[in-house]
Amino acid sequence: MEDIFTVREWVGELTQFIADNTIGKTSLSDYSELTANVMTESIMAVTVFGTIMGTILALLWIERKFFARIMDRRGATMALRSLWVGEGGEHVDWYDDLPFGTGKPIRWLNGFLNDTAGNASEYETVHRTKDRGYHGVWWMLPGLIQNVADGMKFMTKEWMVPAKADKFIFEVAPFIIITSTVMIFAFIPLSSNIFAANPELSLIFMMAIFGIAPLGVFFAGWSSNNKYTLLGGIRSAAQLTAYEIPLLVTVLSVAVIAGSFNIIEIAEFQMTSGVWNIFLLPLGAALFLTTMVAEVERIPFDMPEAEAELVEGWWTEYGGMRWGLMFASEYLRSYAACLLFAIFFLGGWEMPFGDSIVGIIPNQDLILGAIGAGLLGLAIGLRSEYPALLAPAPLVLMSVVPPTAWLLMKAWLMFAVFVWIRASLHRIRSDQILEFGWRWLLPLSLVNLAMAFWLRISVWQGGEWPLLIPVLITAIALILFVILGIDEDTSELEGRTRPYSVYTESKGPASPRSHE
Amino acid sequence: MAEMWISMGPQHPMTHGLWTLKVKVDGETVVDTIPDLGYIHRGVEKICESRDFTKITTYCDRLCYASANTWAHSYIYAAEDLLGVEVPERAEYIRVIAVELQRIASHLIWLGAFCPDIGNLTAFVWCLREREMMMDLLQELGGSRMHYNFPRIGGVKRDLPIGFAMRARAKLNLFLNRIQETEQMLDESTVFLVRTQGVGYAKPEEMVNWGVTGPNVRAGGVNYDVRWAHPYSVYDELDWNVSVERPSIKGADSYDRYRVRVDEMRESAKMCLDALDKMPGGAETHYTEGDPMILGKSKQRAEEGQTGFHHFEDSRGESMFYLAGGGEQRGKHPYRISIRSPMFLTIPYAAKCMIGYKIADIPAIMGSFDPCIGETDR
Repeated sequence: MEDIFTVREWVGELTQFIADNTIGKTSLSDYSELTANVMTESIMAVTVFGTIMGTILALLWIERKFFARIMDRRGATMALRSLWVGEGGEHVDWYDDLPFGTGKPIRWLNGFLNDTAGNASEYETVHRTKDRGYHGVWWMLPGLIQNVADGMKFMTKEWMVPAKADKFIFEVAPFIIITSTVMIFAFIPLSSNIFAANPELSLIFMMAIFGIAPLGVFFAGWSSNNKYTLLGGIRSAAQLTAYEIPLLVTVLSVAVIAGSFNIIEIAEFQMTSGVWNIFLLPLGAALFLTTMVAEVERIPFDMPEAEAELVEGWWTEYGGMRWGLMFASEYLRSYAACLLFAIFFLGGWEMPFGDSIVGIIPNQDLILGAIGAGLLGLAIGLRSEYPALLAPAPLVLMSVVPPTAWLLMKAWLMFAVFVWIRASLHRIRSDQILEFGWRWLLPLSLVNLAMAFWLRISVWQGGEWPLLIPVLITAIALILFVILGIDEDTSELEGRTRPYSVYTESKGPASPRSHE
Repeated sequence: MAEMWISMGPQHPMTHGLWTLKVKVDGETVVDTIPDLGYIHRGVEKICESRDFTKITTYCDRLCYASANTWAHSYIYAAEDLLGVEVPERAEYIRVIAVELQRIASHLIWLGAFCPDIGNLTAFVWCLREREMMMDLLQELGGSRMHYNFPRIGGVKRDLPIGFAMRARAKLNLFLNRIQETEQMLDESTVFLVRTQGVGYAKPEEMVNWGVTGPNVRAGGVNYDVRWAHPYSVYDELDWNVSVERPSIKGADSYDRYRVRVDEMRESAKMCLDALDKMPGGAETHYTEGDPMILGKSKQRAEEGQTGFHHFEDSRGESMFYLAGGGEQRGKHPYRISIRSPMFLTIPYAAKCMIGYKIADIPAIMGSFDPCIGETDR
């Protein structure tokens, strides 16, 4: 699929034009090309960082909302609804009390909201407010501004260093964590044209930087002069030995498949060879997901900050904006993990079902887009009174979605998986992750690496993959997943001395007296 | 790493209240523990000596924030024993319903607090969602959501509200359905199993020696439930089973304690449904025979040297009130009151159970014993 958004070239032409017409007309004209290059690189770096920082709000929003949906709890939507619907479904006409009729627009808005999501709509509000399964209306994007409020709170808080802390290390540790986290994004391309830096061995460079932050965590934990932070820091270092090696071996398998250590080439190889890596290395995808959850220290692998036993783990003594930035860097690392998963295994910035899977239909973009858009239009048409004639409209939209948007959407989808994992699992122990890492993750990652070698050397003949291979691998992976996923035989388990489920015994009649 | 003492508490996420657990650790391994209680000792026993018999109920409500109703009933039965009051059968049925609803609510808030201890917040919110239904029902009975002050000496505050049985049946059936969902999420999660199975072994004989009662000792295979062993109220007329776990040779672990409580919630719900069916009609919910003025005649009823007590199955174990009457001298007030708190005996044993396990197991073990510091410190 041709990338029509050649942003880097556009910026290059623009800066060259500017440089030619300013410096180029002075005695410093020799430097005009250099100036143009510097300007181009700066603009691209700002673009990448701006995109990442701007879209990280989506991550926080997904964390809030998706988590709240899974937990089935009332969120900010319910609080917002109280503006137009009071307790027990009563109307609150507070806007009528405003002077000079300034409440008129609010009254109009209230009427609209009541018609669409209030008492006057098809369901009764009283039932909705009592029923916690109802979460309000998604299009209000409630909770999005909460992050801004949190940030302002952090900024106004005092920065305190514990009296007996190792002050220098204590101050340096947040900088190590935050800077190394931001530096990761220098090597994550948002499309083949939008990236901040693209060295030849960007994969190795980036994975090295990814591993710096746990060192900062260890510094922070050791220097705080607190027993909880000390334990948290040591747990972080111990955890590092469990997941880092399987992670690197898994990443190596992706590099082997693509035959390159360059991230952009890895992504583009999936487009040119026609198959996303997740269909070739499903085991690698699972391993990468597991180790990345450990790398970004989320549940079930968040022992360094286990709040139940270690209060807040290694960052107990931190506060203020340094804590806020470290928390933000935590999410940035999650974002980087999601983006990397999308690039390594989900075809990067390629449109789903664009070129990769179906390589035989001519103009497949158009045909598949038309089918998708038709279904979308049908759905819209069934749902409301919009004429189905509007159906082709999304086709146009879909074909002009920039590749970066596809990448970000895939990353957000992955983050939803992260949130899902967090919502459904518990925290495991340090010794358990060490055992898991050495006894399961490492051998499996070696198997995965061997599989990648076999695929690259024996199966791939240049050009596109033979379609049979990914179909076969995916089918085997799905069958294994189902077999491993279904429950154990309960009758067999009952016979064991320590079954998974211990059944409660019902001892005798309700009471001895009832016998009499 | 050298051995060091960590003082967990009084403000610590593990404590579920206000107490300190001093832990000696060698790296991540717990070597020694010292529980330090008494932070919120309010002297309830002493305060009650200066209150008349009816006013003590409000204080007993405040003994445990998670299970107020059971403590109020625990006192009421002891006071009725002292004053020699007989209760109409319908009032006993209403009391059983109130107590069992409170037991479900208490176990739900335990499960809700236990899961964040080992890292899952979803189960917490699910459990509070279900607890809300029990709260609504109890609110209909007592008019309040936390400290109900529902039982009276000789009966209950008021009869069941109109339509209560219908709403209670609907909500309890819904609860029985929904608890399966939470159970599936926990029981089928390997991470939950590896965190709870095999940690915090408590031997049944040791638990009996230390005086541990309730779900904790039933998790160790000891079939001792006051409602079954020494039936009071109408428990022997209802259809229910005692939840007893089949422990391993090493004793009861955290998972056994989790299982026994979940099963007990289910039995309590079934007991409530059964009580709603078997409840006699009429409006007699208060002591009417003989002297209606219980308090006015308490001088004659609670003579000097006369005592009243009652074993009661609280949500956390066997609670007991021991009342001594003062006759003419003390008037309407008891001469002395003593409270047996199940958690006061359980917490030292739970702290002993942690030795040899990891720091990460401390919440998984302590949380599974369901500590409530309000009643512990009294």
